[in-house]
Amino acid sequence: MGDTAAILLEVFLETISFWYIIVPTIFLGLVVGGIPGFSAANTIIILMPLTLAMSLQGGLIFMVALYCSARMGAGIPAILVNIPGTAGAAATPLDGYPMAKQGKGQQALSISFVASSLGGLLTTIIALAAMPILARVGFYMHSTEMIVVMLFGISLIASIAAQDMVKGLIAGFLGLMIGSIGTDVVYATPRGTFGFLELYDGVPLIPALVGLFAVSEAFIIIEKKVIVTHDGDVKAPSWNATLEGVQIALKRWWHIVWTSLIGLVIGVIPGAGASIASFVAYQQSRSFSKTPELYGTGHPEGLIAPESANNGVTSGTLVPLLVLGIPGGATAAIMLVVMQYHGVSFGPSLFDTQPKVGYGMFMAMAVSYILMIFTILPLSRYMSHVTTIPTIYLAPMIISFTLVGAFVPREYMFDLYLALAFGVLGYIARRTGYHVAAILIGVILGPLLEKYFLWSLKKSDGDIMVLFSSTLGNILWLCLLLSLVLPAIFAFQRKRKSLGVVAE
Amino acid sequence: MNRIKTMNRRRFLHTTAAASAAAFAMPGLARAEGYPESSISVIIPTAEGGGADRNFRAFTSVWKEILGTEFEPSFYPGASGRVGYELYMGKSEPNAYNLLFGNIGPEVLNWAMQAPTFDINDYIYFGQVDKDPCCLFVGANSPLKTIDDIIAEGKKRKLNVGTSRMAHPASIGLLALGEETGAQFNLIPLQGGKGTVAGAVTGEVDFSVLTSGSVIAAGDSVKTLLVFGNNIVGEALDDAPSINDAYGMDLPEMLSTRAFGIHKKAVDDYPDRFEILTRTFKETHEDPRLMEAYIASKGQPEYLVYAGIEECEAEKAAMMELGARYKALLSGA
Repeated sequence: MGDTAAILLEVFLETISFWYIIVPTIFLGLVVGGIPGFSAANTIIILMPLTLAMSLQGGLIFMVALYCSARMGAGIPAILVNIPGTAGAAATPLDGYPMAKQGKGQQALSISFVASSLGGLLTTIIALAAMPILARVGFYMHSTEMIVVMLFGISLIASIAAQDMVKGLIAGFLGLMIGSIGTDVVYATPRGTFGFLELYDGVPLIPALVGLFAVSEAFIIIEKKVIVTHDGDVKAPSWNATLEGVQIALKRWWHIVWTSLIGLVIGVIPGAGASIASFVAYQQSRSFSKTPELYGTGHPEGLIAPESANNGVTSGTLVPLLVLGIPGGATAAIMLVVMQYHGVSFGPSLFDTQPKVGYGMFMAMAVSYILMIFTILPLSRYMSHVTTIPTIYLAPMIISFTLVGAFVPREYMFDLYLALAFGVLGYIARRTGYHVAAILIGVILGPLLEKYFLWSLKKSDGDIMVLFSSTLGNILWLCLLLSLVLPAIFAFQRKRKSLGVVAE
Repeated sequence: MNRIKTMNRRRFLHTTAAASAAAFAMPGLARAEGYPESSISVIIPTAEGGGADRNFRAFTSVWKEILGTEFEPSFYPGASGRVGYELYMGKSEPNAYNLLFGNIGPEVLNWAMQAPTFDINDYIYFGQVDKDPCCLFVGANSPLKTIDDIIAEGKKRKLNVGTSRMAHPASIGLLALGEETGAQFNLIPLQGGKGTVAGAVTGEVDFSVLTSGSVIAAGDSVKTLLVFGNNIVGEALDDAPSINDAYGMDLPEMLSTRAFGIHKKAVDDYPDRFEILTRTFKETHEDPRLMEAYIASKGQPEYLVYAGIEECEAEKAAMMELGARYKALLSGA
């Protein structure tokens, strides 16, 4: 115990001394996270020669800082211009963007930064302390249990549909149908690809994201002078708005804690990721809120939930990597390759053979989150200016930047056209009252649900009762049922109570 | 008409001789002057961060010095690698500036399952980077401790077995084991090496089969119980026996062979460029720096073995034969 504490202190001090790597990397991460199509994973790949030329510790700190800051950066355009930088931030605009439209962009950014930093920092500490236990989560969460987790996220479609049930469900099913395009996970048989090779991998997420959110948003905002609505209170940016955002977030510290824990738990499951976590956290946050009707209108808790959760995933993905040698996600897989070049062997023996590497990764994450609070928070004042840029300049910039982003991951012209097609679909959906987020949930979570479902069926030789074959799975089914039913019961009780008060 | 024909030895020699003759007979034909003048793009039909990524980076870190140009990889893992191959054949210029880095065993098996949109002889593998046998392994905490445990349990109930993809030499090795012993196995494609290792370690499946290079890289999270070929690395694969020794079988080695491929048209149109590629490829294998880079990327030195076009084409043919034999089981037909 004493040895571990000494190592932790030593690693912490060493990590702090690498501030000259961490601070510039934070800004790099903000940029790559904010542009759809760029991510920590492909930036690490591009900069791999640099990473390999660094010392082991320097390279490790660089990658971890980039990973954390890119995650946070993805939320910035999601809030300001309704464009999630990555699929992990797809739930952020649900409440972030309405805040920006109300002239509270700066406040929303502050809330997002505090929720991300605290959520990330907290889950890093918990992951460090409870690593052996957390590593076991993957041993219990198999395909059968993951089906239920997916359904938690997908049930958000029903919440969105609550405003207009028919349109919401149509949008959700359309998304699920689009999500089923591609080859099946068992025999790799192409379905719904219309002969396009580019669709064999399924509908690529970034062009879908760019089209549904960015391009359609550009079409919408071009009809206005600025993003902020006429009803919005356009205040000059001030430090007060930043502090207000910090206060709002800190007042909801418990919300940050439990939604980031959802992210941590989902993050430690190999193959699960930030997009699942953010939708599940948003759905849970809404389900157990006393004011669910405020979600989607610019409610701080609707912003805190996905941002805390997707940063919780960041520390979660390191757990299976360090303890089991299994990367929890794409960025962790790239880190694995780089660290192997440095002679590091991940797995159960890592903490015996190279404890400073194991603890160092978490420490780099903790230090990055601490430094991010101080370096990024002040920027919210300047970033929020984006919402006041005249749309005749902003809309073309959004379209050009994001179309480049749609092209970058696979470098297909097809993806540009696909983004434009999704843009038209998104525009029509918005103009006719269909929710693009419901479509996107289907596109993102549909293929994952199908994958886990087919694996479960394959494992059970097609027996559908496999869905109820595990104790943990059944507990999750019960939780899902409760999370769908209880909010309705609570709402009914509140309504009765308020009617009673009025009657009195 | 069956478009999938493999290149036999005679056909290969004819092609090579014709290409060489054309190079000398046609002065106007593009020559290798200044080749390579720019970087070489390489399509890899698997995901970044996996075994192919590691091998590619290790090999090209030396090859680029000898050839004097950079290699730029693009990863297209979709549809069991078919996307990468279709893109290479359909969209990459056949000019020797575009190469393919594939895994002969599993990827050729794809063509046995589902015909591609091009003729399989329209590309050739010209150089093997490394070759490792597939193996059967369990998670470190699995209740199945030995291959006998697996066979005994497989006779009581159908065991779920993780595999990278259905059409994979490791899957064929497993099916052969089932045929021989009477144990029942149910293949679950876990989409890539990382997922296959994770499946065995976390208990998603009872055990997994995979190329042994990736299993060794997974370290002490896993334990190898059987090798579908010769265990030439001994302890690194937990001294697991070969399937043929353990069960008196005569199964050909189930191999994962990572090799560079090129358009046949590029070989025909740019024989000088192709000659430079093959020559420098061989020189890279002879360079001691390669072994250092390979070991640094967690490769097993014993697996780093050079092979040229002829050996690669022979393996392609062998895989096509095996694929045809096990097609019904692997394709769910």
